Amino acid sequence: MIKAHQINYLHKDFHILEGVDVSLGYGEFLAIVGPNGAGKSSLLSVLANEIKQGKQEILFKEKSISNWEVKILSQHKSKFSQHNSNEIPLDVKDVVMMGRYPYFDSQPHKEDLEATNKMMYETDIFHLKDREYNTLSGGEKQRVHLSRVMAQLENEIAHKLVFLDEPLNNLDIKHQYKALEIIKKFTKKANSAIVVLHDLNLAAQFADKILLMKSGKVSAYGTPQEVFTAETISQAYNFPCTICGHPITNNPMIIFG
Amino acid sequence: MRTQSKLYFYLTIGAVLLAIIAVLALNTGVYDFGGTSPFKVLWQFIKGDPGLSLSDQYVIWDVRASRIIMAILIGSMLAVSGTSLQGLFKNPLATGEAIGLTSGATLLAAIAIVLGGHFKQYLPEVVQFSLVGISAFLGALSAMMLVYRISTSAGKTNVVMMLLSGVAITSIGFSITGFLIYISKDEQLRDLTFWNMGSLAAATWTKNIVLAVVIVISYAILLPKGKALNAMMLGERDAQHLGINVEKLKKQIVIITSLMVGTCVAFSGTIGFVGLIVPYILRLLFKSNYVFILPLSAVLGSILLLIADTFSRSIVAPSELPIGILTSLIGGPVFIAILIKFKKSL
Repeated sequence: MIKAHQINYLHKDFHILEGVDVSLGYGEFLAIVGPNGAGKSSLLSVLANEIKQGKQEILFKEKSISNWEVKILSQHKSKFSQHNSNEIPLDVKDVVMMGRYPYFDSQPHKEDLEATNKMMYETDIFHLKDREYNTLSGGEKQRVHLSRVMAQLENEIAHKLVFLDEPLNNLDIKHQYKALEIIKKFTKKANSAIVVLHDLNLAAQFADKILLMKSGKVSAYGTPQEVFTAETISQAYNFPCTICGHPITNNPMIIFG
Repeated sequence: MRTQSKLYFYLTIGAVLLAIIAVLALNTGVYDFGGTSPFKVLWQFIKGDPGLSLSDQYVIWDVRASRIIMAILIGSMLAVSGTSLQGLFKNPLATGEAIGLTSGATLLAAIAIVLGGHFKQYLPEVVQFSLVGISAFLGALSAMMLVYRISTSAGKTNVVMMLLSGVAITSIGFSITGFLIYISKDEQLRDLTFWNMGSLAAATWTKNIVLAVVIVISYAILLPKGKALNAMMLGERDAQHLGINVEKLKKQIVIITSLMVGTCVAFSGTIGFVGLIVPYILRLLFKSNYVFILPLSAVLGSILLLIADTFSRSIVAPSELPIGILTSLIGGPVFIAILIKFKKSL
């Protein structure tokens, strides 16, 4: 799906990313975790081709991502950004419809309306569709963008990729789970997702692979069982923790303190 | 209603309204056609009636009709350039006047008028002929690039920086234009005063043809950009993820709005605030949905400027009021209204 070798990213002589390797297969849910300032968002930006980086090539579906045509690429991958604009003087349904912009010229087709309606239902914002975006709460805005980003990938193309940068910010427990279930369902159809998460327990429950970062480097990579060991986690976060099995799913459960 | 048919519905209403106002404007004026109605005279002219007196012909066709068409073309371009600038800067306060675009154009046009005589003979003939227009375009373009460089970094626009750099450019323009007025000869002085006030009195059909060419090219590129400007509200990076070539879009808007503002300034001087008032009214009706407000501002701009021009030439008849005074009179309060509305977010 996506392959990157030895990513380096410098900002004013400061190494934000140093020699990061990423490789993701079809149908994989990769969670990027790590303490503040570890370079998680920067890594996501580099992978999503937002920051143009000198030499390193990022291969998306075996083709350098910068060689993809912008419009075609937008039907294969989408990205949920961490800092979403607060001021968009439009109705919620118009903001979600932006996700369908790659598919129509001036008049949205039936599929476009269906895709946006479906995602608004799934993210639980359908009842807000005629409200003005600016009047929503932070969590509701997040869900608007989540449905926009997911509606963008409602198509017949096989093996799509979604990048999400802290999609759970401001969401209540129910919607945190709903959001992750939407992403999980997406990856079950041989699509892939790279998600920056802060909640390690949620990452352990939903992700197939975990990439643990610290100071711009990969400090551990593997399945949740491999990465979430007491030693690795307490070292990365500089904070003591205990690991036990989740009573229902038996995935690792991290208890800090 | 479907988006597209809703848009066409409003566009049709706008066009009908514009036609009605144009008819009224044709009927307004000091000249007396000897009892016959101006419409009849116009019809006679179009048919090529040999009985029509030369002065009647001149007033109906070369004065009134050409002036009405010029008001329609210039109003439309000023409004669309304002709306596109607001899309580019993601802010309803961005207009040619506020960010110094108009000053830049006026400044270089003034230089061309006053100093043009000294270097004109060294230029190729085509350039000589359209020296003022080309200078106005270059002035607008350089002001635009300067403001954009200063106010935008990493895809985000700093509104305060945008407005302040506009203030700086305007004051440079003001002082140099003032100096040019000081050193200019009588005839040049008259030209310069016309620039600063703005007027459609110099309308001719040649100018209208040039304006029409500019408008067709500009609108072919800009008007379909409604979706892209909507996406820009998400931020430039997210717009890119939606398949929009942001760098290309920005370049197109910078060049085309400079071209439109430059042409308008070259032909009619500084007619301020049309690009502010029109999108403001449309935003009250359609929020910030550029799919609607971009094409509709093309029609509403024409309506607004045609009304203003008809007023300006009839309110103190037989003399006329510079139209820039009227548009600024409406524009100032609108600017303040927007400021108050955005007080918190600025």
